Formats: sequence, structure tokens, C-alpha cells
Amino acid sequence: MQALTILKPDSVTQAIALHGAGEGARYLAGGTDLVPNLRRNIQKAHTLIDVSGLAELREIRAESQSLRIGAGVKLEALCKSEAVRCQAPLLAQAAAQVAGPTHRAAGTLGGNLMQDTRCYFYNQSDWWRTANEYCMKCEGDTCRVAPKSDRCYACYSGDLAPALLVLGAEVDIAGPTGNRREPLAALFADDGMRHLRLAPGDLLVSVEVPLQSGWMAGYEKIRVRGAIDFPLAGIAVALKREGDRVTDLRVACTGVNSYPGLVPGLDALAGKAPDDAFFSALDKAVRKEIQPMESTLTAAGYRRRVAGGLAKRLVERLYETAR
Amino acid sequence: MSTKPFKGVGERLPLVDGVEKVTGRAKYTADLFPADALVGKILRSPVPHAELLEVDVSAARRLPGVVAVVTGEDCDVPYGILPIAQNEFPLARGKVRYFGEPVAAVAAVDAQTAEQALKLIRLHVRELPIIENAAQARAPGAALLHENKPGNIEREVHNEFGNAAEGFAAAHLIREQTYHTAEVTHAQMEPHAAMASYDVSRDHLTLHTVSMVPYYVHLRVAQCLGMDTSRVRVIKPYVGGGFGSRVETLNFEIIVSLLARASGGTVRMQLTREESILTHRGRPESDTRMKLGMTRDGRITACECEVVQRGGAYGGYGIITILYAGALINGLYDVPAVKYDGYRVYANTPPCGAMRGHGTVNTRIAFESLMTAMALELGLDPIEVRRRNLLSCPTETINGLRVESYGLPECLDKVEAASGWRERRGRMPKWKGLGMACSHFVSGSAKPVHFTGQPHATVVLKLDFDGGITILTGAADVGQGCTTIVAQVVVEVLGVDWRRVRVISNDSAVTPKDNGSYSSRVTFMVGNACLDAANKLKQALVESAARRLEVAPEQVECLGESFQVANDPSRSIGFGDATAEALVNSGTLHFKGTFTCPVEFQGGKHRGGAVGSTMGFSYAAQAVEVSVDPVTGRISVDKVWAALDCGFAINPLSVEGQVQGAVWMGMGQGLCEQTRYENGKHAAANFLDYAFPTIAESPPIDVFIVESIDPNGPFGAKEASEGPLSGFPAALADAVREATGLELHDFPLTPERIAGALEAREREQRAAQRKPGKAARQPATEGAA
Repeated sequence: MQALTILKPDSVTQAIALHGAGEGARYLAGGTDLVPNLRRNIQKAHTLIDVSGLAELREIRAESQSLRIGAGVKLEALCKSEAVRCQAPLLAQAAAQVAGPTHRAAGTLGGNLMQDTRCYFYNQSDWWRTANEYCMKCEGDTCRVAPKSDRCYACYSGDLAPALLVLGAEVDIAGPTGNRREPLAALFADDGMRHLRLAPGDLLVSVEVPLQSGWMAGYEKIRVRGAIDFPLAGIAVALKREGDRVTDLRVACTGVNSYPGLVPGLDALAGKAPDDAFFSALDKAVRKEIQPMESTLTAAGYRRRVAGGLAKRLVERLYETAR
Repeated sequence: MSTKPFKGVGERLPLVDGVEKVTGRAKYTADLFPADALVGKILRSPVPHAELLEVDVSAARRLPGVVAVVTGEDCDVPYGILPIAQNEFPLARGKVRYFGEPVAAVAAVDAQTAEQALKLIRLHVRELPIIENAAQARAPGAALLHENKPGNIEREVHNEFGNAAEGFAAAHLIREQTYHTAEVTHAQMEPHAAMASYDVSRDHLTLHTVSMVPYYVHLRVAQCLGMDTSRVRVIKPYVGGGFGSRVETLNFEIIVSLLARASGGTVRMQLTREESILTHRGRPESDTRMKLGMTRDGRITACECEVVQRGGAYGGYGIITILYAGALINGLYDVPAVKYDGYRVYANTPPCGAMRGHGTVNTRIAFESLMTAMALELGLDPIEVRRRNLLSCPTETINGLRVESYGLPECLDKVEAASGWRERRGRMPKWKGLGMACSHFVSGSAKPVHFTGQPHATVVLKLDFDGGITILTGAADVGQGCTTIVAQVVVEVLGVDWRRVRVISNDSAVTPKDNGSYSSRVTFMVGNACLDAANKLKQALVESAARRLEVAPEQVECLGESFQVANDPSRSIGFGDATAEALVNSGTLHFKGTFTCPVEFQGGKHRGGAVGSTMGFSYAAQAVEVSVDPVTGRISVDKVWAALDCGFAINPLSVEGQVQGAVWMGMGQGLCEQTRYENGKHAAANFLDYAFPTIAESPPIDVFIVESIDPNGPFGAKEASEGPLSGFPAALADAVREATGLELHDFPLTPERIAGALEAREREQRAAQRKPGKAARQPATEGAA
């Protein structure tokens, strides 16, 4: 790992200014994603701008119609926050499923949302990658899981994004050219190498979760080890029930594409009873949206199949609980 | 002054070095590195199989800060644990045979310079065909890893004990099944580390290393460096876990020594997790074809077993491993005839080794699985069928193994009762299951790896002016607790206060030679040697007390901290006075205790017959309860009941810990652990991809200790840490069978495999509905998806 300069700004504005001033600058919050990647030399930086001390990034504020959560809020704090647990329990549930307790004590909301995409050809030591002739995402020119493709299929593996997507969250981004608010989905792109639509110096400041009544929501993931792993597939579901019908349904995935995404085409299911035809259509929609590749040692086919199964099970469970 | 002897054995004592470990005060090898030591780093082969045309280190040598560079040129002496199978060089010569094999090494003033130097070394290689598995290795015309090993076979074993053909002829039911078990590695907590100091003026080398077998390291380092063994000193500090990962000399131990000599100073070397996994010496990938014959009432009539092990690129322990895989088919049940064919095969993967349960685990998985499947086919209960095949004890098995104590029947009883087996087995709710299996292991190989004619274990007790008793032992505590055990034995014999005793271990300049921590030998052998030494010390103290008390030794009663005339408490002296008297005219006293396994315990007369021989087998039975998630195929292990016959529990707390650890390691192999190679390159040499269970997967494990009081073990004790491992995977598969109806033969039982098998079955059932009378009659098998 190369020598680094670490700067500690006093404000978001100063952080952005410092970022613009230095070559190869990166924002540092919890560091649970960035630091191992720097050590492995798969990400490079000369300067780290440590935003973990900025109070404005660490606030959880309940507003009348929404919950505003600073990007620097620790995952552990998300799990414990009374406001989050009452008003967006799904977010606390998803945060509790990120890695292990020590990671959650260090990692942040923003860091989890914007974590680097992953692939077993990429998340390896420098020696291993050299011996395996690198990959497109770092120092090579071929995507090792799809050698004929002209893009990288590294996989997005954040646990919070699908939860926030089904909750309809928006993000506030500050940057050298001004501030903006946009739907969370707009932050992501289907590209393993450039999965974040951020300009240089852009800093995620906060996430706004709208408070809507009547929704039931849940998040489930599969992983090899229950105490720590990234999702091999993760599904968040939010639904509304009236009588024997699902009146509204949102499903989002992680761990199965280069971006976290809402499953499109579910409008047709609104107002339907959750019968065999309903679930068959749901399964089809989920499978159409996701494209897991051999980026993990667990086979893509399994991840694909189980993603559909998880979605069905979650919908069933939430539908029952909504009674 | 206490008038009652202190109790030493049978007590639930925390490990004597436990406080140091949990408070972080214990110093492990890498904690001892002086800041000014040179940093040693290894350049590893980026290809799995190649001719090494040139290793150009000239640019690395020129880099400022680089003090020494060594390559295969610097050592032409092969090493290996077995004197008859040494075909590995610390740094590759001529060929590289696995991805990650050391090729060159540097010592530099700091880590950054050392890393930079490695990047300056140019390798010129001609790549050779990669042998990834045993089938490729054995195929006609396959490239040879070693010119002198035709067919890439390290050793074939062909044995028959009893008459298998007659046995099968007498059977009512004969079944045959092949079981595949993936390669697993140890994942010990402490990655490899070593430090070597070379004293130029005296030509002496001091090596600190993480070994389980410092004595063997001493021999091999001296051999490879061409040094007289008297000029080498090996010290083993605290070690964070072994499991067989460091039960032979490892390349980095020789390399760091070569670097120290080349640089004329001290070199420290800390391997990364990736390097530690690539150093491997784990359990080989195995294909085990098991065939059993059974009478209608469940008696086994014969066993035929073929084992093919992918042993990796070098000999290592391979010959022993393939022999163990056959030898320990016996010793658990009464099996009247066994035909065994074993093949230890070379491949371009890191060398395997003597991992916990050495050689026996994968065979046991196959045997137990098939035994249960056949019992069910005959309508018999799995526990009952085991009761019908028990050994009578004492006995000698058909392959010459002696069984002198046998607590398996009681282990079965305990597990049956505790798990509610009779009420619950076969009646579990949907997607839940209960399964069981048994296992055993040796308490020390009755014949050591190196035959020297020396005792199997030697311990020295030192008594000096201070009244302290110092136990000097070469037994390597790697976390399993043998330092505590030797202290307990001494306290028990002498009855002295714990605080009077200290253990000094593993410094070849100070402590007597010990063969090391392998084959679960330490409690049995070193324990017996300790017993011998402590009895001698006690006798000397009784005699000196008798002189002071002016009575005959027979009249003296030893109360530990005091000695008194029998039945006369008014006439007594303290331990200090007895010691002072003992030292008159002699000065410091040393009492040597030894232990030797009598030759009649050293196995059958056939070739390789010593492997598997021991003075006492541990016996274990375990029941496993699972739930299976039909959507994800994920198995949750909800509860385990494990009973172990360890002869006698010198420390029940420690025995429970060992059993839980063994069960847990068996669970890793059963559920999820597997190394992975893609094009001969390790794809999971890190803890992201090499997945072992975490605390979230860990069930409550109830341990039941059965004490059969072995006639030869110290206080009746036998081993406690390897036997309970190998039952787990088969018990797991049995439980999964009840939960799902699936017969699984491919381990580990990953969610992918379970989900794939469930889906394949659904497809078969749908096909059967379309075509009545066809397909679905076949039992579901795994893996189609």
C-alpha cells in the first residue's frame, strides 16, 4: 500500500474544495470497502479526504413527510436508531444484514450505497491478479467472466440500496458544480467499472426516505456465511394489501447485476390476488431483470434461481403479515 | 501448609496459558520480531506447471536495501517429512509444479524494498500441461510431474485382510457407492511466520517458527542448510492453531533460514493469509468407492474400498495418508474382511498433508454413509445396526490393530438418549432431519515417522534450590492444551500446589526432544512420560523426607506440600525441607521420564502395517439435527450431540473444547469448505472465497464424555481431538436425507448442491407425471443442475 495524505475538512464545502485541489483524491468515511481495496492495489489514491468527522453527514432527522439520514451515519447507528426502526424498519433490517458487527460499527450508509462492485477476478491480491493476467476492471482489458463482452460484469453487492429503492428514497449530492437531489436509482449505472453516476468531487450528503403509510416491507439475502458475507443475491420487497389483493408491489435486487435495481413490469400485478399466476409473473419479472454472472464462486444459475425464490417467499410473508 | 494433596487430573481447569492468550500477553512468532530484523519475502510461481528456464535475480540484487536473494540454486537438498519420500526443494529447481510454489526469496531492509525486489525478478518458463485432478493425472499419456513417478502415482496400496469374496457371498445385501469429498484446508487462525538469526562467527542458526513439530523442522533445516544439527536451535513460541497445517517442515522455514545465513543476520518472515493457504498441507480431494456386504440383520460381512487421493505436487505425508485411509476402516466395528486399494496421485496443486483426522476422514464419511443407507434399506435403525457390529474388547483387528478399551457402545447410548433418537428419528417435521454417525482415531502413532530407537516421548522435571518444579518438554502446544495436561499430570502425582509447577517447552537448546504434536500422541505418550518422571521425583522426595524424619521411606506419606510419618501428623516436614535434603550432595536434580510403545502395538507385519497402529483408539458417536430451506437449499445445523470415549478426561473442560472444535471442523467440511482451482490456479486462497462456518452457523454442541479407562493411557486417558471430527459429515448427510429424501454423495453439501438436487427431483417428478410408470422410481440423485 502506498503512502497517503489524509486531510480532515471541517465542512462539506471544504471537503469538495480539497477534493478538487488534489490529484487522485478519494473521500474516506468508514473505510471498510476502500481501505482493503487500496491495500490490494485495486483502487488508487494519493489523498484521502476524511469526511467521517463531519457532523452534517451524521444526522438522522425525522421530518413531517420523510426521514433524512446523513450519508455518514454508521450502519450500527441505523440498526439502533429509534427513528429508523419506527419509520423505516426495513432500512434497519437491511443494515443489520451487512457484514459483521465490526464492519457495521465502522461502515456508513453512504459507503455501503456507493461501495465498489465486486468480482473474484478483481478482489484478489496484487500477486494473484498479476498471475491471472488482470481483468478489465483493473489493469487488464478483458472481462474475465464474459471474455467476449466489451463491458465489465463486476457485481454490485450493497445491502442497503434495494431497501432504499423500494422505499422510494432520494439522494442529495453536493459537488463542485452545485447541489442536486435525484431518485436513488439515478445514482447507478449498469457497468461494473463505472456503476456510479457521479462527477469528480461529488459527495453524497444524505438520503431522504419518504414516509408512506400502509406498506409492508422486507429484505432477505443469501450468502455463504451468515455472520459476514456479501449477498450472493438480495431482494427487498414492499407491498400494500387490501383484502385478498396486493394493491401495490415494489421489488428491488442486489448482488445480481452491476447495479441495484427496481424490478420493472410489476404494475400489471397491482390489484391481483397472489395466486400461482401472480407468482409465476413475479418470478418471470425478477429473472428478466437480473443477470448474475460468474463473478462469485457460487454459480450464477443458483443465484438467479434463488433470487426468484426469495422474492416469492418475501411477498408471501409480507402479504400474510399485512392481514 | 496444606495437609491434603492437591488434585491434578479430572478437574475442569482453564488452560494454564489461557490468561496470557485471552489478554493478549502471549507472544506469537510475529510478536517477537525485532524492529531491525530484515524482512524476508517469497516470490511464488505464477503458473501451475512449467520448466524453469531462468530465474534472473540480477536487478533485484542491485536494488539498494536488498541484502540477500536466494533461489533454487542455493539449496539442492530435497526435504519432506518421510525419509523415503523427499522430493521437494524449498525453492523450486528445474520445474515449478503448483501455483504459488516458492521460486526465489529476498531479504531487505524493509517490506516495501523487499516487495519491490520481488517485482524485479524475471522468470523465464516453458509452460507444461496442467494436471488438475486425479483422473487427468492417471490418464494414459498424462504429463508426469516427477520423472520417477510413472502414472503420477506416489503410492499404490493393495491389501486384503480376511476373505472379502467369501464375505460378500455370505451377504444378503451388497451395495456400492462412490463418494466425492472436496479438498479442504485448515484455516488456522495464525498465518505462518518465522524468524531466523544466523551467527556468522559461530556458524549457529536460531529459528523461531510456528511449528507443531519443531524437532522435524530442526532436522530438515539442518539437512537443507548442510549444517550440523548441533549448530541449529529451534524455538516454538505460542502458536495459533495447527490442525496439521504445520506438522512437517514447511518451505518458508527453510527459506527464512537460507536468507538469514545469506545475509548474515536476522530475517523475519510473515506469510499473508493467501500464502498460508497456498502452503496448504490440507486434506486431499478424494474419490472413495465403498462397497459393503450386510446380512439381513445388519451384520457387516465384507468391505471393499478404493480410495483415490489428489495429493498435490509433492510427496509430503502422502504415503502415510493413503495408508491411513485404508487402515482405519478397521478398529471401529467388527469388519471381518476388508479389501483396500489406495492410489495417492500427483497433480499441479499445493501439496496436501496430515490434516486433523489424517487420512481417515473421507473414508469414514463413505463408510458411515453407506452403512446407514443399507441399514435403512433393510428396515433397520442406524444406531441399532452399529450395535450389531461392535467389536469385542480387548481384541486385535484383522489388520493387526490392538483395541484395549472400547467405549463406543456407551457413546451410542448417550447420543441416542440425549437426541431423543427413538422418539424423533423418522418422525421429524417436514424439512427437518436427525442423523448420526460414528468415528475413531489413534492416540498417537505407535511407530514414529523416524525410527531412531529412542523412546517415543521424553520429559525432564527439574527440581532446584527454589523448590520449584520445572517441566521441560518438547511437546508442542499449538492451542490444543498439552502444556496444561503435562502440568496436571505432575500435580496429580506429586499432589503439590499448582503454583509450584511451571512448564518450559519447545526450545531445542533447553527442552528434551519431542516428536511433536501429530497423530494425537501427546496426551498419551508425553502424559505417560510425565507420569514416569513425576513418580521418580516423588520417590526421591519421599526418600529425602525419610532421611530428615529418620524413618524408612515406606513410612513416609506424601501429602503434596508436606511429607509426614504415616499416622503421625506431629512428625512432618514441608516440601522446601524435603527439597533441601534431596539436594544435599547432589545439587540440582533432573528426573527424566520416558515412554515407549511396546512393539506388539506397532501394527501388522504387512507393508505399511505400522500406519494406524496405536495403543488406544478414541471412539465417538454423534447425532446432528438440521433444517433445510427448500428455497435456498441452505442447511441449518440446529443441534449436535457428541459423545467421545477419551479413556479418561484429564481435563474435562479441555476435552469438551476439543470435541466441539472437532465437530465444528467436521461441520465445515460437511457444509461448505472447499478449495477451488481454475486452470490450476487457486481461486479461493483467501477468507472471502474459502468459506468456513461462522458463529451464525454454529449450533449448540452437547458433549458427553465417556471414560473407558484405557489400560495403557496416563490415568486411562486417550486422545480427544481428532476422533470426533470424521463422524460429522456422514451424520449431516443422514439428517439431510431425513429432511429432504435426498441421497447425497458429493461433499460439501452446499446450498447449490441441495437446491440443484431438489430441482432435479422436481423435474423428474414432473416428467413422471407426464409419463406414468417411468422415471420417478429411480432414487433422486444429486448434481444434475
